[in-house]
Amino acid sequence: MKADPVLVQLDGVSYTYPQASAPAVDQVTLEAGAGTVTCLMGVNGCGKSTLIDCILGENSLTSGQILLDGTDISTLRPSALARKVSYVPQVHERAFPYLVRDVVLMGRTPYQGILGSSSDADQEIVDRALRLCRIERLADRPYTQLSGGEMQMVLLARALAQQTSFILMDEPTAHLDFRNELSFMETVVQLVRNQGVGVFIATHSPNQAFFFEWSGVPTVCTLMSAGRVYQTGAPSQVLTSENLHDLYGVHARIVSTPTSTGRPLNQILLISTEECSHDQKR
Amino acid sequence: MRTGTANTSAAATRGRRALRAGTVTVGAYALPVALVIVSLFIGRYPISAGDVFGSLGAALGVSGAADSIQARSAAYTLVVNVRLPRAIAAALVGAALAGSGAAFQGVFRNPLVSPSILGVSSGAGFGAALAIVFFSSATAVVAPFAFLFGVLAVIASYLIARVYRSTPTIMLILGGTIVSAVFSALISLMKFIADPETQLPNLVYWLMGSLSAIGWEQFAAAIPIAIGLIALDVLAWRVNILSMGDKEARSLGLDVFRDKLLIIAAATLSTAGAVCMSGVIGWVGLVIPHIGRMLAGSDNRRLIPLSAAAGASFMLVIDLLCRTLSSSEIPIGVLTALIGAPFFVYLLKKTKGRDWQ
Repeated sequence: MKADPVLVQLDGVSYTYPQASAPAVDQVTLEAGAGTVTCLMGVNGCGKSTLIDCILGENSLTSGQILLDGTDISTLRPSALARKVSYVPQVHERAFPYLVRDVVLMGRTPYQGILGSSSDADQEIVDRALRLCRIERLADRPYTQLSGGEMQMVLLARALAQQTSFILMDEPTAHLDFRNELSFMETVVQLVRNQGVGVFIATHSPNQAFFFEWSGVPTVCTLMSAGRVYQTGAPSQVLTSENLHDLYGVHARIVSTPTSTGRPLNQILLISTEECSHDQKR
Repeated sequence: MRTGTANTSAAATRGRRALRAGTVTVGAYALPVALVIVSLFIGRYPISAGDVFGSLGAALGVSGAADSIQARSAAYTLVVNVRLPRAIAAALVGAALAGSGAAFQGVFRNPLVSPSILGVSSGAGFGAALAIVFFSSATAVVAPFAFLFGVLAVIASYLIARVYRSTPTIMLILGGTIVSAVFSALISLMKFIADPETQLPNLVYWLMGSLSAIGWEQFAAAIPIAIGLIALDVLAWRVNILSMGDKEARSLGLDVFRDKLLIIAAATLSTAGAVCMSGVIGWVGLVIPHIGRMLAGSDNRRLIPLSAAAGASFMLVIDLLCRTLSSSEIPIGVLTALIGAPFFVYLLKKTKGRDWQ
C-alpha cells in the first residue's frame, strides 16, 4: 500500500449537462482511498452515475477538480487515466462474440503501443485476472454466450487486467440474482483486501454497504441527494432509518444478525413507502 | 493434478484452434491470388494457355517471350491490358468494400451496417452523375468526381453527427441517413435532366456497378484503397475496443473521438476508391464481414484482413460470372446480391450462427 492512502480527491466538483438548468453534480467534495470500498448511494437521478462519469473523465467538469494521486485528471491523456482508473459498467451491450480471453485482454489497452500488440506478460496478467475472478473455465468461450453473472465477472476481470489502483463500478450487480450478487461482492472484498485496490461503487442496496463493512474491509458510505453529498461515514452510521426516510421516503428498519465470524451483520427491512403508510393511517 | 489435466486439454483445444485458424488464413489469402491467375485464362475470346503465359512473360520483360508474342498482339492486349487490370481491380474493390465494411460494423457496434452507412455511395453516385450530365462520360472525368463527392458526403455526415467533442453512433447513422437522402434525391434530379439517349444509360449503368471499362489508367484509385486498407489493419485493435461502446473504450484508454475519426477516414478512403473504380456495388461490404466472422471469429485484427481477402475472392468470382454468363455483360451490382444472398443463406444454415452470434 502507498504511504499516502488518499487516491482520489474530489474538490468542489460540479457538472451541469448541456442545456440543463440545474447541475447534476453540485459541489461534491470527497476522498476515496486505496484498500477502501466507497459506496455511493442515493435515489435514481441523484447524480451517482454522473459523478462516476466525471471521475472517468467522460464529463468535463463545470467547476472544481478531481485529483488522482495529486494529479488533476483533466490534464491526463485517456491512456494515462486508464492506467489509474478502470470501470465496470452496469450493463454491457454485446455486439460481437469476442472470446472471454480477448475481452479481458482489452484491459491491457492503455499499456499497448500503436499497433496494440500484446506480450506474454499481458497474457499472464489476463490469466491471473481470470483466476482471481474464478472464471478461467470461461476463457475460450464467446462472451455473448455468458449469463449476466458470468458477464459481470468478465468485466471485473477486464478491470483487473488494467492493473489500476482504483476501480469504478456503476451498479455492477443491478441485474444479478442474489447468489451472483454475493459472489461478485465476495470477489470485490478479496480484491480490496489482497490487492489493495480502491473500489468506488454506486449501488441501490444498503445491504451491499453493510456486507462490505461486515466483511472487515474499510468501508465508507456516501449518501447523495440532488447532486450533493448528503452524508458520509461508516455504513452503520449513515444508513439509519432516519436517513433512509429522509432520502428515499420509506419506512425501514435496520436489523442486526449475529454471524459465525462474531461480527453482527446489518440488513435493511423495508416496511412501507411514506405515501402508503399515510393511506393506511387514513 | 486436476488443474494439470485441465491445462493440457485447454492447450490441446488451443492447439487445434490455432491449426484450424492457420489453415483458414493460408486458404483465404491464397485464394484471391489463384483467382486472379484463373481470370486470365477465362473469357469470351479464347486464348491458349501458352499465349497467356507468353503475354505475361512479355509483360514482365522475359527475353524470348517478347518475340513469340508479337504476332499475337491481340492476345497480349487482352491478357495484359484487359483481363489482368480487370481482375486486380475486382480484387481491390472487393477487398476495400469488405475490409471497410468490417471496420464500420465494429465501430458502429452493429452487424447490419455497410460501408455506405455514412453516405459515401450516394455521394459518389451524385458525383458521377454530375460528371456524366455536365462534363463527360469518360472514366477519367467520372472517377475523380465520384471519389470527391463520396468523401464530401462522409465529411458532411460526420459534421452533422459531431456534438461537442464526440460523435455518438446514433448521430453518425442519422447524419449518414440525412446525407444519403439528399444525394439520392440529387441523383434522381440528375437522371431527370440527363439526355435519355446518351447520358442516362451511362449513368444508370454506372450506378449498377461495372468493371467492364477498367484499364491500367484507372489505377490511381488503387492508392486510396491501399492506404485505407493498410490503415485499417493498423487500427484494427482499436476497432475491437471501440466496439465495446464509447464510454468503455474511453475507460480502456482510447482517445475515442480521434480514433473513431481515423477509422472512419481510413474506411472512407478505401470505399470511395472502390466506388470510383467500379461504381456502386452493394451487398459485399455488408455480408462478406459476416462470412469473415464465421471463418475467423470477431477479433478485428484477424477479421479485417481476412474479410478483405474474402471480399477480393468473392468479387473475382462474381466478375468472372458477369463477363462469361451471357453474351452481353451483366452489371456486377446485380450479381453480387443474386449470387451472394443464396450463398449467405447456405452459410447461415450450415454454421447455425455458431461462432458468429
